[in-house]
Amino acid sequence: MSEEPAAPIRVMVVDDHPMWRDAVERDLAAAGLDVVAVAADGRSALARFPAARPQVVVLDLQIPAPDGVEVTTEMVRQDPEVRVLILSASGEHTDVLAAVKAGATGYLVKSASREELLDAVRRVAAGDPVFTPGLAGLVLGEFQRISDDPSPDPDDPRLTDRETEVLKMVAKGMSYRQIADRLVLSHRTVQNHVQNTLGKLQMHNRVELTRYAIERGLDVE
Amino acid sequence: MSSWTSPASIAIKDRMFRALAVLRWVLLLNTVALSIYRADSFQRPVAGAACVVAMVLWTGFTTWAYAEPRRRTFRLLAADLALAIAMLLVTPLVKGDGFSASLPGYWVMGALFAWAVHYRALGGLVAGTLLAAADLSQRQDIGQSDYGNAFLLIVGGLIVGFMCDSLQQMATERDVAERSAAMAAERARLARVVHDGVLQVLALVQRRGRELGGEAAELGRLAGEQERVLRELIRAQEAVTTVHGDEIVDLASELARLERGETVTVATPGTAVELPAATAYEVVAVARACLDNVRRHVCEDAPAWVLLQAFPDRVELSVRDDGPGIPAGRLEEAAAQGRLGVSESIRGRIADLGGTSELVTGPFGTEWEFAIPRPVLGSSA
Repeated sequence: MSEEPAAPIRVMVVDDHPMWRDAVERDLAAAGLDVVAVAADGRSALARFPAARPQVVVLDLQIPAPDGVEVTTEMVRQDPEVRVLILSASGEHTDVLAAVKAGATGYLVKSASREELLDAVRRVAAGDPVFTPGLAGLVLGEFQRISDDPSPDPDDPRLTDRETEVLKMVAKGMSYRQIADRLVLSHRTVQNHVQNTLGKLQMHNRVELTRYAIERGLDVE
Repeated sequence: MSSWTSPASIAIKDRMFRALAVLRWVLLLNTVALSIYRADSFQRPVAGAACVVAMVLWTGFTTWAYAEPRRRTFRLLAADLALAIAMLLVTPLVKGDGFSASLPGYWVMGALFAWAVHYRALGGLVAGTLLAAADLSQRQDIGQSDYGNAFLLIVGGLIVGFMCDSLQQMATERDVAERSAAMAAERARLARVVHDGVLQVLALVQRRGRELGGEAAELGRLAGEQERVLRELIRAQEAVTTVHGDEIVDLASELARLERGETVTVATPGTAVELPAATAYEVVAVARACLDNVRRHVCEDAPAWVLLQAFPDRVELSVRDDGPGIPAGRLEEAAAQGRLGVSESIRGRIADLGGTSELVTGPFGTEWEFAIPRPVLGSSA
């Protein structure tokens, strides 16, 4: 992650707060990243997204409609390769979890430093899920709720014991490096476990949405 | 809001009058059928027929008249009751002095219940008493069943009136409660927008201040402090809505208050974790003791992490730090010297809650793992 790739990372910044948007844009550009588009609300973000083709979208959750969760869903649908990094001021639990289920792969609070932001953008671009301990706690809770369901579905995702163990360590604030050392695994394996948990959650979300749509008699593709 | 004028109570009244309109036709049918069946007992059949026709017409009229709230005036109700009383009073003229069944029979219930619905208990009592008096006044000898009918008129009017009163009051109260819940939700939504904006600015000031250094750094630090306070307030407000009664507490939001900007990070399942207050506060106290320990033994601003997991039968709490760990033998040494260390007191408190504690320590840091059984809470619907 310390190595800057040959071509600069193409980033899109979506935030309705102009001061904040400028600051993030400036920081990213100063670090040599390519800010290909900015947007102040969900509508213009989705309008500019196809032409800009960013690798990473730095997205505020609380933006004028459509909100961050809907924007994430739509962007990931159009381009499954895009990485969405959520940058939220309030860190509202339910919103963050909804965005992650919709396909976001990173989450950072706005009070994070410039270095943390740059690091997060680079890691997300490299395909690393960027977790905060808080987000890991939410995801653990979500899987627990799924398995507590009194009428379980065989299609419901289950975490393996190892995945749960890794996620729990992330929630306890351990870095991937520390987890790898503790469990005697490679750094890459730890990342894969985390990625898998996110993948299962997003898959479950899609299945649920489709099931809901079919139950309601709506057309699905 | 008064239960006499609130929209909810008027809606209840509308419903009652609709039901009453149906009842009136059933009563009318009964009276007409009985009058035809006992036609030979009428001394003046023409007058009797005229009375029956009047009742039919009046029933049709009241069905229309009571359907609209603004037509439910005292004049209408008075006329309704007066006609019912008049029918009772003319009975001896139509049927002769020794009549057994009154002319309108149960049809008078229509006017009685209209009064009970509209004027509630007092209205039911007044109408019932007047009807009973009118009925009894025309009878030469009052039999057991005459007395029974009169008694039922009074008691029935009173009870139906009282129930209408209660229903309308409950509907009004429910309406007020629903409205204030909606208002609170809207206020919370507005507050969220404002809070989010404030948090954004505070985060920005904090970040830019740190970069600029000097006096700006101090401003940034202050902004960071306020950001933390506001975030805590928001979490605390979220918690208020999830507390049921005063003995159940959301442990997740209680623990979230322990969060301290750069040093203490709290991870929770994201939904309320409800526990009896005594248990929840004890768990929070244990977490706080663990964090104090980190500050004392590692350093003042050593980072620490708190994780809460909720299972159907228990909650699990982890408190971890990155410090040098507790040197081997130190705890045993303390115990041997008869000193109950902090760790023993922590274990004791968890054991009192029926839970288990586990302490893992090493060069990677110190980790407490607690499992606390969770009583099955009554459904909190």
